[in-house]
Amino acid sequence: MKRRTFLGGAMAVAVVGQGSRALAQQPPIKIGMSMPQTGGLAGGGKASLLGIEIWRDDINAKGGLLGRKVELVVYDDKSSASETPAIYSKLVDVDKVDLLFAPYATVPTAPIMPFVKQRGLLLMGNFSFQVNSKVGHDMWFNNAPWGPADSWAASFIDLAQKAGGKNMALLAADQEFAQNLALTARDVAKKRNVPVVFDQSYPPNTVEFASIIRGLKAAKPDIVYVASYPPDSAGILRAVNEIGIGDDVKVFGGGMVGLQFAAVMGNLGSLLNGVVNYNTWLPEPSMYHAGTKEFFEVYTKRAVEAKVDPLGYYLAPYGYAMGQMIDAAVNATKSLDQKGLAKYLRENEHKTIVGPIAFSADGEWKESATVQAQFRGVVDKDIEQFRKPGKQVILYPDKLKTGTLVSPFEAARK
Amino acid sequence: MKHRHSIVFWAGVAIFLAAVLSMTQIVRNEYPFFAGYVILQFIALAVAWSILGGYAGYVNFGTNAFFGVGVYTAVALFKATGAPLVVQIAAAAAVGLALGFGVGLLTLRMRGIFFSIATIALAIIIETCVMNWRFVGGAAGIQIQRPPVMAPFDSYVKMLFFVQAVLVVIAVSTARYIQNSRIGRGLQALRDDELAAECTGVPTLKLKLVACMISGALISAAGAPAAMYLQYADPSSAFNLSYSVSALAMALIGGTAHWIGPVLGAILLGSTQQLLAVTISSEVNVLVLGIMLVLFVVGAPKGIIGLLRPRYRLRAGGKP
Repeated sequence: MKRRTFLGGAMAVAVVGQGSRALAQQPPIKIGMSMPQTGGLAGGGKASLLGIEIWRDDINAKGGLLGRKVELVVYDDKSSASETPAIYSKLVDVDKVDLLFAPYATVPTAPIMPFVKQRGLLLMGNFSFQVNSKVGHDMWFNNAPWGPADSWAASFIDLAQKAGGKNMALLAADQEFAQNLALTARDVAKKRNVPVVFDQSYPPNTVEFASIIRGLKAAKPDIVYVASYPPDSAGILRAVNEIGIGDDVKVFGGGMVGLQFAAVMGNLGSLLNGVVNYNTWLPEPSMYHAGTKEFFEVYTKRAVEAKVDPLGYYLAPYGYAMGQMIDAAVNATKSLDQKGLAKYLRENEHKTIVGPIAFSADGEWKESATVQAQFRGVVDKDIEQFRKPGKQVILYPDKLKTGTLVSPFEAARK
Repeated sequence: MKHRHSIVFWAGVAIFLAAVLSMTQIVRNEYPFFAGYVILQFIALAVAWSILGGYAGYVNFGTNAFFGVGVYTAVALFKATGAPLVVQIAAAAAVGLALGFGVGLLTLRMRGIFFSIATIALAIIIETCVMNWRFVGGAAGIQIQRPPVMAPFDSYVKMLFFVQAVLVVIAVSTARYIQNSRIGRGLQALRDDELAAECTGVPTLKLKLVACMISGALISAAGAPAAMYLQYADPSSAFNLSYSVSALAMALIGGTAHWIGPVLGAILLGSTQQLLAVTISSEVNVLVLGIMLVLFVVGAPKGIIGLLRPRYRLRAGGKP
């Protein structure tokens, strides 16, 4: 009896409460995605997701999109390609989401490209590399600043040639991303007549790099291009520190994944000095745009409780930028029509916290904004130091440049 | 008696395939086919694993090796000749059979744990080879353009769902045949005591080889359609250790004494995994598999079928 009265009361309150709001409120706009939250890509995935969540909270604080609240529907793809087809089918066919974001990284994204093309759906890409080159979907827009496929290697080899580099050594992990980088590096080297004097891939999970580095040193290269994954990046730098790399080497680094993550950076400390490596966002004066500073203030607070990368430079602001682009497109077209949104995204330049973004026909950035930066004056066991400018000096591209290359590598390491 | 069981079994198979086919024609929403495909794939894997791992008691951790070989056979064949799906699957089965023979010859003289370790090594060796094989994309992976779908299906995923159902039927009927034949009885004898079996005239190595070959062929065949399902293949996904862990866990949770065990285990765990992936969707779904496995090992060492029939024993000409 008592329970029934309570239930009745609760129901009545709920109905009355609903009634007054239901008139004003439309259903939320749902944005669906999978995100690696377990497995090898989880660290990046969680940071990226936090960036997207911060955007969601900001947009909802402003009253949402088209006057509707924004809701994220997120599933874990376990960093695996085999999970995403079913997840995206669920998002589209069952959850009936309004918009799709791609998961972080290439491997989970690749299987859903044909699916979104077939269904004619807009997909905002999230840091995958050349995933649309074979599929040719005209409603794909990558948030990552890679730009044209070869610009990555080209920027590094440019720098090295200006510093007097004549020949190159190539060291790459046997992993999807690193191998893609190595392929473009070989192409660019061939075009520029830079002979490759050492070209080696090593299996994933390699821990001891001494013998590889000795072999590399013996080849006497001027340029050392490394495409590695987080655990190996650390192993390679330790081996270089123990064995040395020779005075010929003008520039070392280029495609080392992991040196963007706070945990790895903190762990390596002074071993990073002198390395020139790619990055997407750095706390250098040239990289602040409207809203960037505010974003990182919020991120830094929330990263602690979310237990993600405390710095969040590499992925998080680009997650936020995905949201900003969708915001701009939805507001401009005043609809959620996928074709209209895609048309708007393709034809306009978008202001975001990571700078202006314009797309070319393949959905990649028209111009690469991947920076090459050199680590300077890094000390051991201090993550906070990386928040200051000057620790990673931007050498490339020119419009973001904040310093000049210190070369040769051995001199820069001091 | 045995004859009647057979009629019941094949009637069940006919009803199952008819249901799957009509589902592809009636249901408009594609999600059940995406999720269902994965569950069916795991049923085929668990049943195939159980032929060697259950009947003979040789715990094979190399499911991912056979699975990946199936995927990459399909990829290589499709890239080279544009072969249709049926040919891809048949070729994958043939390669799996050959691999099973080779591996069996090399490793089946080892007992228990040593065999298991050897199968883990096998997966790593093959994955490394594929990583360095540029033709199929190497470590960078490869994207595949599907050919147009064939009638009576209106989407490729529905067709794959049906194809995987047929593979399940093939795997289950093979397992059932083996269980009720001389091979099955021989395998059971060597599982209980290999030395005694050998002494009483059971050709243990030959039987183990046969089991390993059939098991390998079925696993590779179940893996072959994954290339078209994902329209993408990369070594780390194709040779993912989770295939080994899942197949083994499903078979053990279901019970390995009878072919119905892995089927039940795969349905239970496979559906749970698919459900968790789109509900809780975090570290928790990785945990669930482990907890279930521990609970079953402690509480029901004979698996689900052991719970259903407490004094269940494998009998010649056993249940349908």
